[in-house]
Amino acid sequence: MANVRQWKWADDPTINDMEQAKLVKDGLDVIETIVEKYSKEGYDSIEKTDMDRFKWAGVYQQRPKDGHFMMRVRIPSGILSSQQARALAGIARDYGRDLIDVTTRQAIQFHWLTIETIPDIFERLKAVGLSSFEACGDCPRTIVGNPLAGIDPNEVLDTRPIVKELEQFFVLNRDFSNLPRKYKMSISANVYNTGHAEINDLAFTPAKKTINGEEVIGFHVWVGGGLSAKPYLAQKLDVFCRPDEVLKVAIGVTTLFRDFGYRQKRTHARLKFLVADWGADKFKEELLKVTGPLESRGEDLTQGWKAGYFYGIHEQKQKGFYYAGLSVPVGRMSAQEFEQLADLAERYGDGTIGTCNSQNVLIRNIPADKVDAFQSEELIVNRFKLQPNTYVGYAVSCTGTEYCNLAIVETKERMRRLAEYLDRTAPQLDTPLRLHMVGCPNSCGQRQIADIGLQGALVKTENGMVDAFDIYIGGTLGENARFNKKLNGRIEAEQLGPVLAQLIGVFAEERVPGEAYWQYVDRVGVEHIQAQLDAIRSADAV
Amino acid sequence: MAEPEKEFYLYKLEAVLPADRLLTVIVIADSDEKAFAYAENNIVRHTIVPPKIEQLGIVQKKPLGRGGVGYVVETSQFADS
Ligand code: HEM
Ligand code: SF4
Repeated sequence: MANVRQWKWADDPTINDMEQAKLVKDGLDVIETIVEKYSKEGYDSIEKTDMDRFKWAGVYQQRPKDGHFMMRVRIPSGILSSQQARALAGIARDYGRDLIDVTTRQAIQFHWLTIETIPDIFERLKAVGLSSFEACGDCPRTIVGNPLAGIDPNEVLDTRPIVKELEQFFVLNRDFSNLPRKYKMSISANVYNTGHAEINDLAFTPAKKTINGEEVIGFHVWVGGGLSAKPYLAQKLDVFCRPDEVLKVAIGVTTLFRDFGYRQKRTHARLKFLVADWGADKFKEELLKVTGPLESRGEDLTQGWKAGYFYGIHEQKQKGFYYAGLSVPVGRMSAQEFEQLADLAERYGDGTIGTCNSQNVLIRNIPADKVDAFQSEELIVNRFKLQPNTYVGYAVSCTGTEYCNLAIVETKERMRRLAEYLDRTAPQLDTPLRLHMVGCPNSCGQRQIADIGLQGALVKTENGMVDAFDIYIGGTLGENARFNKKLNGRIEAEQLGPVLAQLIGVFAEERVPGEAYWQYVDRVGVEHIQAQLDAIRSADAV
Repeated sequence: MAEPEKEFYLYKLEAVLPADRLLTVIVIADSDEKAFAYAENNIVRHTIVPPKIEQLGIVQKKPLGRGGVGYVVETSQFADS
C-alpha cells in the first residue's frame, strides 16, 4: 500500500516522530485509506497514526473531537467559477451544516463533516476541478495571490497561467509531498502586495529589469516568511525571475527546503529557520545550484500594501468592465448566500468569484450598463456591502473555540459583534483600521499584521472565568513591514468595545490627515498609546 | 458516534502581580477550570507568603497527544539576539 520514496534523510536517527511516520506512509496515501476504509468503517476505525496524515487530504479534526472534521479547499489565487461555488455551497448544505468560511489564505473551509461523507465530497470537488488535497499538511498549500489576476489595472502581468502551472505541478506530486513542515507560496503581480509576500514561505512580487536592452516584466523572490508563535518576515533574494522562470525557481526553493530544511524538531522546521541560518546570499547561491543561472534583482514595482481589500466598484484593465469588491463580515456565510453570490456573478459578471485574504469576496467582469442594477441588488445593499462601515469592513477573525481545539476563547462571532459596536460608537475614519482577532498564539487570523490585533486569554475573576484580550498595535506589510507590538494590560471581553472605542477616539483626534494607524503608532510611540490605555483602564476601574 | 475524547492539555498561565511583575505557571489539566485551580495551588505551594494576584489568565494550551509539547518562558534576563 505505502508508496514512499527512499529519502536521503531516511537513515537519520535524529529526525522527529512525525518524520518517522512520514517515512512509513506518505501523507498522500491517507487519501486512499479514507476512501477505501475509514469512510466505510467509520470514525472509530481511524488509526491514531493516520489522523495526522488526514491533513494531506485537507481534513482536520475539529473541536470537540467527537467525530467531526473541518476541510479546507484550495482556491488558487482566490479565483473560482460560479459552477465551483455552487458545488461548494452544495457540500456545505448537505454535509457541513450550511456553513462556509473564507480564510485568510483565500481558501474555503467547511466544518461538521463526518468521515462517511468525505469520499463523496472528494468526488464533488473533483467534478468541478477543485481539490482539498494538500490544503493542510507538510506540503505546498494553496497558492495565494491576486483574486483580480487578468482584470486588474494595478497588476503588471496576468498571473493566472503561472499559478495554474504551479498548482498542476505541485499538487499530488510525490517529489514534494514530504516537506519538513507546511509550505506556503504566494504569487501576485499587483503593485499593492495582494499576496502578503512577507508572511509566506516563498513569494513572488512584481518587478522589472532591463536585460540586453529590453525591458522585462517579471518577479522578485522572497523566502522564509511566516507567522505563528515566532513570526518572521520573508527576505528578498538578489534574484529577478521572468514569468517563465517562476516554476523553475519554485521547484528550486522547494527542493532546498525539502533537502536542507530541518527535520529534527517540528517547532524548528519551517523554511524561515533555514533562511535565518543561511542568510539571503547563501540561499541564493544554493538556489542557483538547483536552477542554473538567474538574473540579479531589478527594479521593484511594489508601491504599497492594500491588505487584500477591494471594496467598491472599480474599472478593470478591460475598459467598460468593472469588478465589485464585497464585504463578508469575518468571512462567514451560509450555503444559500454563496449560491446567491454565484447567481449574481452569472447574471452580472462572467461567473467568476474572487476570494480575498481579507476574508472577503469579489465579482469580476460586470459591463458598465449593468453596474447600477448590480448595486441595487438586495444581497449587495443589505448583506455583502460594497462600502462597509469602517470596522465591520476591516475585521478579520480566526475560528476560535467554536471549532478549534487550541482556542482559549470565542472569536469569530465576537469579532463580528465588536466591529458592529465600534461602527455604532467609534469615529468613522477615511482610512481602514484593520482589526484582527485570534483565539491563541498560533495566529491563524494573522494578528501580527493588524493595525490593532487582539489575542484571546481566559482570566479568572470574582465572577468566574471570563474571556479577555491582549492588545497589539501598529502592524503592517509592504515597504514598512513590521509586526504589531503588545500593550500591557489585558482587557476583559466585556470592556473591549468601550476601551477600543476610546483608544480609536484618541487616534482620530491626534492623527494627521490621511495617516494610517501604523504611521500614527510610529509617530507618537507605543508608550504614548500605553499611557492612554492605562488611563482608560484606571478610569474604568473607578 | 464515538464519545468525545477526554483530552489533557499543557496549559500556560500568567499571573499578573503588583508593579507589573509577571509569574508564568505551567500545568496539565483536562479543563480550563482545573487549570486555574491547579495553577493557584502551585502558586500557593511555591510561596511562603502568597503574592497578591491581580489577574490570573490562561494564555495558551497545547494538547498532550504527542510527547514533547512545552513552553519557553522568557524572563527579564532574556534578550533576543
Ligand atoms: C480547526 C481549526 C484550526 C486549527 C486547529 C488550526 C491550527 C493552526 C496551527 C497549529 C497553526 C500554527 C502553525 C505553526 O505553528 O506553524 C496555524 C496557523 C495558521 N492557520 Fe490555522 N487552524 C485552524 C483554523 C484556521 C482557519 C479557520 C484559518 C483561516 C482563517 C487558518 C489559517 C491559518 C494561518 C493563516 C496560519 C498562520 C501560518 C503562518 O503563516 O505561519 N487556520 N493554524
Ligand atoms: S489562532 Fe488559535 S484559536 Fe484561532 S483558529 Fe488558529 S489555532 Fe485556533
